[in-house]
Amino acid sequence: MNAVLSARGLTKRYGKRTAVDGIDFEVPAGRIVGLIGPNGSGKTTTLKAALGLIPFDGQLTVLGFDPRTQRDDLMKEVCFIADVAILPRWLRVKDAIDFVEGVHPRFNRAKAERYIANTKLKPSMKVKEMSKGMIVQLHLALVMAIDAKLLVLDEPTLGLDIIYRKQFYQNLLEDYFDEQKTIVITTHQVEEVEHILTDLMFIREGKIVLAASMEEIAERYTEVMVPMDKVGAASALAPIDQRTVFGKSVMLFDGVSRAQLSQLGETRNPSVADLFVATMKGTYA
Amino acid sequence: MKTMKWLLRREFWEHKGAFVWAPVAVAAAMILLVGGGFLYAMTFGSPEQVQFNGHTVMQINGIPPALRYKVAHIAASGYMGLAAPVFIVLAVVVFFYCLSALHDDRKDRSILFWKSLPLSDRDTVLSKVLTAVLVAPLVTIAIGTVAALAMLVFGLIGTAGKGLNLFAPVLMEPNLYLAPLYMLAFLPVYAMWALPTVGWLLLVSSWARSKVFLWAVGTPLIVALLMKWFNVLVGHVSNAQIDVDWFLSEVVARGLTGLVPGIWLSQDHIRVMNQQEGVDPMGLLGMSYGTLATPGVWIAALLGAAMLYGAMRMRRYRDEG
Repeated sequence: MNAVLSARGLTKRYGKRTAVDGIDFEVPAGRIVGLIGPNGSGKTTTLKAALGLIPFDGQLTVLGFDPRTQRDDLMKEVCFIADVAILPRWLRVKDAIDFVEGVHPRFNRAKAERYIANTKLKPSMKVKEMSKGMIVQLHLALVMAIDAKLLVLDEPTLGLDIIYRKQFYQNLLEDYFDEQKTIVITTHQVEEVEHILTDLMFIREGKIVLAASMEEIAERYTEVMVPMDKVGAASALAPIDQRTVFGKSVMLFDGVSRAQLSQLGETRNPSVADLFVATMKGTYA
Repeated sequence: MKTMKWLLRREFWEHKGAFVWAPVAVAAAMILLVGGGFLYAMTFGSPEQVQFNGHTVMQINGIPPALRYKVAHIAASGYMGLAAPVFIVLAVVVFFYCLSALHDDRKDRSILFWKSLPLSDRDTVLSKVLTAVLVAPLVTIAIGTVAALAMLVFGLIGTAGKGLNLFAPVLMEPNLYLAPLYMLAFLPVYAMWALPTVGWLLLVSSWARSKVFLWAVGTPLIVALLMKWFNVLVGHVSNAQIDVDWFLSEVVARGLTGLVPGIWLSQDHIRVMNQQEGVDPMGLLGMSYGTLATPGVWIAALLGAAMLYGAMRMRRYRDEG
């Protein structure tokens, strides 16, 4: 069993509303997966189920554990940051480090202290004296110093300024990630994560509408800048999305060979954001 | 084991103000007031009378040695009683601690941080129980002992100023040194009686989305009220009556007042104690442990444990959105 996360018919209902509707997916080890979907599409619910925070129906194993019955064992191998980084207001930086070191066998104190040294955080500072950005910095420093097999990040950089966001993802890639680890990220800032992802999962209304590696996506989807005179020919190939930039049509094709498309105009890989918008068309309609 | 140590430390960090500074403030105020009172009485009070614990314990003219030792005995064995307000503070502080213990971190959503660490719900709830029935009382005993000793010293200085030097006989009393140990010996009885209250409060704390106090205190009172109402309605047509007094004393009182130190002592116990000279700690201990021989204590403690289990289960899947 190689999959870190594996779901079969994972379903979660809140009363009559179905938040997650019988989804199947597999996440192998050593991947960085972006779980991307509009608000209320079920991404946070899926992650909560995987972390044993809510009961659910269907099958779900995380690192070989069932999060419903084996959460205590699971949490030794998994770490997560839930959507808004909130820490207890009375906690001091030095106490937080001592505590996590005391309870987590995989915590590397030196690493956490190194991250914190790069910030304005002082050891005696309490969370209630910190700005939101500083709280997130402390939280990330604690979590990134934990050598977890699976790291789940639900909107990890919400409330951070762009400089720190960039730095965070860089640290994640350089210091944290290796082929033994798996990271699952949800975020609205798709542009910032797309170059670090190895896999994409689009979720919409509780269903997975796209799950593929970045290579597969590059193969499958092509964006073409079509000059005006070729729009008719291009439209015949059924683009899944179309917009106009500086008088040229930018069309997105699914599963049309790149050789064929290159005759219509300049081809390139679509951005995840554009792909996302095209896939989610009509969600809010 | 190591995890439990850190969980207890965590509780202490969060509630240092309530567990340490509140009793320290009360103790300091008492030392100031009582100590000041003794010194005032020494300086300005009438020279014939010595008051101790509010009673005129002796007249200065002619002190028989027997009386001198009697007073010393009362002072040495009963001085812990001077710190009683500190122990009342303990009951109040722990009551509100239990109410917020499993609720506050859900309210501010920091529960997600704790849940991201390898901490089981069982250990988390257990750490709060241990804090309530062991850590907080131990801290209070330490502070109470220091406060009581300080007041005793002031009292002895005060009586010495009246010409009655009690230092030597008081220092010779073994009870003076044993009093803190007696306090520790009460802890198991305290824990047994506190368990149903701690269980109930933590259960509500784990369950309620808001207004924890109202749920914890209001629910039993409204149930009692409904029972009274039932009695009024049914009383007209039948002899079936609910024993509301039993419900109040055996269920509500055990569930809400178990944190008050000495709650286990009945009127009879207090009458026995009042007939003694000073406090007989061994006798008091005996009476206290005697209360554990009634089945009610054990049934209530078992229910308390069951409610704690409920609180653990509840915390497992409480979804904070």
